[in-house]
Amino acid sequence: MESFIVDWRLSFDALSIFFGFVILLVAIPSWVYSIGYMQGLYSRGRIRFAKILFFFFILSMLLVVFSSNVLFFLIAWELMSLLSYFLVTLDSHEEKASRAGLIYILMTHVGTTFMTAAFLIIYSYSGSFDFIAFKETCLLLPSTIKTVVFLCFVVGFGTKAGLIPFHIWLPYAHPEAPSHISSVMSGAMIKIGVYGFIRFVLFILGVSELWWGNLILVLAIISSVGGILYALMEKDLKKMLAYSSIENIGLIMLGIGGYMVFIKMNQPLLAVFSLAAALYHTVNHAIFKTLLFMCSGAILKTCGTKNMEKLGGLIKLMPVTAFCFLIGALSISAMPPLNGFMSEWLILQTLFSGALAGATFPKMKIFLALLTGLLALTGGLAAACFVKAFGISFLAGTRSKKTETANDSGWTMKAPMIFLTGLIFIFGIFAAPVFKVLIDTVSSVSGLNSGGAAFTFNVMSLAPRNNSTMSLNSLLLFGILVITEVTIFAVVKIITKKRTVTCAHTWACGYYRTTERNQYTSTGFSKPFRVAFSFILMPSRKLEKIRDSHYHVKAFKYEVHTKQFLNEYFYKPVIKRLFRFAEWSRKLQQGSVHIYIGYIFLAIVFLIVFLKRF
Amino acid sequence: MHIELMQYGVLLMAFAMVAAKRFSALVTSFTIQSFLLFILTLSEAIKTGSTQLYILAVLIFAIKVIGIPVFLGRITKKIKVPDEMGLYVNTTLSIIIAALLSGISYYFIRNFLPSMEKEAGIALIIALSVTLIGLFIMIFRIKALAQVVGLLIMENGIFLAGASITGGIPFFVEIAVSFDVFIAVMILGVFVYRINSLFTHIDVDKLNELKG
Repeated sequence: MESFIVDWRLSFDALSIFFGFVILLVAIPSWVYSIGYMQGLYSRGRIRFAKILFFFFILSMLLVVFSSNVLFFLIAWELMSLLSYFLVTLDSHEEKASRAGLIYILMTHVGTTFMTAAFLIIYSYSGSFDFIAFKETCLLLPSTIKTVVFLCFVVGFGTKAGLIPFHIWLPYAHPEAPSHISSVMSGAMIKIGVYGFIRFVLFILGVSELWWGNLILVLAIISSVGGILYALMEKDLKKMLAYSSIENIGLIMLGIGGYMVFIKMNQPLLAVFSLAAALYHTVNHAIFKTLLFMCSGAILKTCGTKNMEKLGGLIKLMPVTAFCFLIGALSISAMPPLNGFMSEWLILQTLFSGALAGATFPKMKIFLALLTGLLALTGGLAAACFVKAFGISFLAGTRSKKTETANDSGWTMKAPMIFLTGLIFIFGIFAAPVFKVLIDTVSSVSGLNSGGAAFTFNVMSLAPRNNSTMSLNSLLLFGILVITEVTIFAVVKIITKKRTVTCAHTWACGYYRTTERNQYTSTGFSKPFRVAFSFILMPSRKLEKIRDSHYHVKAFKYEVHTKQFLNEYFYKPVIKRLFRFAEWSRKLQQGSVHIYIGYIFLAIVFLIVFLKRF
Repeated sequence: MHIELMQYGVLLMAFAMVAAKRFSALVTSFTIQSFLLFILTLSEAIKTGSTQLYILAVLIFAIKVIGIPVFLGRITKKIKVPDEMGLYVNTTLSIIIAALLSGISYYFIRNFLPSMEKEAGIALIIALSVTLIGLFIMIFRIKALAQVVGLLIMENGIFLAGASITGGIPFFVEIAVSFDVFIAVMILGVFVYRINSLFTHIDVDKLNELKG
């Protein structure tokens, strides 16, 4: 029993420090933001309660990252899950919030169960809960046990991270939570799942088979494409962001899967790059997703709705929020020279280099090339998604009365948004030094040879050496972008010099009496994608016409639904069976004292008679 | 020799309780059973000369032979319900089942503890049978008071088991358990009284509305 005593010591290695940095990067602006955000939305007692919970939530995340003992890790992990549950259900008077909380806590516990199972399996071999003891034991584990442990970790950490087959809690919990909580959950908490995966699978369990990496790559690319497709279909601003988080987790896991594959393909250099790129995307996603959730929170607070169809024209009313959202949206859609582009570019390049380098693995060559293609598709869809989000919510005219009184929020809310917008530029333009730090981090934790030798690092660029195919030059990109834009601007100016301009209603094509009902809708915008990807989205539509006569339609109703493939064909049947089983097992509960004592009696007699069998 | 006789007496009283139809008969049998336990403890005390066992014997006499039966008698008078306990299983079948339970106990002890001395083994078989019979009474008698007595029978069985295997459970544990049982009976008595005043009956089989 001695090893069940929890070792409360903390350990600070490069990986934990990196993730601790990401958590604080998200938490501190969110803390400032929450002061302004909660004011007026909640009662004073509730605000104080939320602040205390928030503080301990951040603390528990830091403890998860810095723990060096599995029991300590689990305790902190559970604390984090429970605290975030209470934060999700802060609007507990709304039924939707408590339902979202329920789904969240259920899924997170399913995940924890698998994690704990994996830990206990390793513990049964190691006899100690220390990370180092775990690592030593994992070298000696039989391969089938290793595979089981690996799969448990995938389910456990995948659930927290929101990887696609285990993602269902994410689109419920993130939109229902208060905005500063969604930003922390999306920016930091799901990254803890990534941290756990890196720590336990990559560095404690060790990668022992090629198909492990392939499995992660497949799940990751499904998450990316699926996440962004569902995001594109969504008209709820925060729900859209939640789906986009799934996409980004997919991108991060793509880097991690790349590491696993490259280790097995004997490409340590690429492995280091791949993981460093994943970490880079982790910090980038933390920055811009936090920012976007903050912007949507500002909109939600001032307009009272997060339904895009009801927003519109906000750019004139909330210029600061609009600008921040635009930068965040550009970054998340991988537009150079912002940070989102840099990390996606690096991930793409490592996968591409892997496809080129894997001469001895012909199948991997095709697989990796396919992944690169799908990754490019993801970027395109993300751009479409955020064009929609920005275009529908901020441009055009107002769509409902609610938005007419909208205005920019106070400084406590604006300052963190502007701060994060600045970080997007900094992490984009100074990509090379950041990437160098990350490469050092990865090589110090993994013990692999540092990739630094393959590059010359400048302040702005990353030039290849030793026939490496990777390169990154943010200065050049920035320059190209500026020159192109200036040229286009100048050309347009010259061409349109002699034209006269009439101002009319936005998107009215010159027609003078447009109402909000004439405008382009978010559902309309996403129609082409719904048609193109109908094999996944399975859209169904319903038309209802009420007419006076054959020629005159009095009222018209049009509904479009898309189906969640996994929900429909996996979770719903499973849940249905579960409920049916519960209903059936209720027969045991007859409410009669005699029968309850009888159960005890039968159990005793059974044990007496069959004791020898056990 | 007489010790063994006492032990068989305890078993016999358990059978008597299975056969009892009326509550007063049940309490009388219980009193006799407790008295037998008292004599067993006392003889053990005389044999070893241990003060602790003397105290224990006095305690058993005070609580189980006098205290609890008197208390139960007062409760039955107070709640004025018919003396019949209400049987799910008639007397004959009950005795057959009780005999079967003794058989199971015998089988169990002989098979799993074959190395035990003969006398201790018999005591243990009887103890286990009495415990099971107590449980049986709790299940197959309708009135709530029978559940209380069933619990007491089980406790007697466990006491006998403790005394026969180890030569007595540690003194303080024994005392604590005795008081525990006494308090439990008091509380259960109050409950029964309450149930009666609320529902005007103490039929446990009708108390089944609190289920999910």
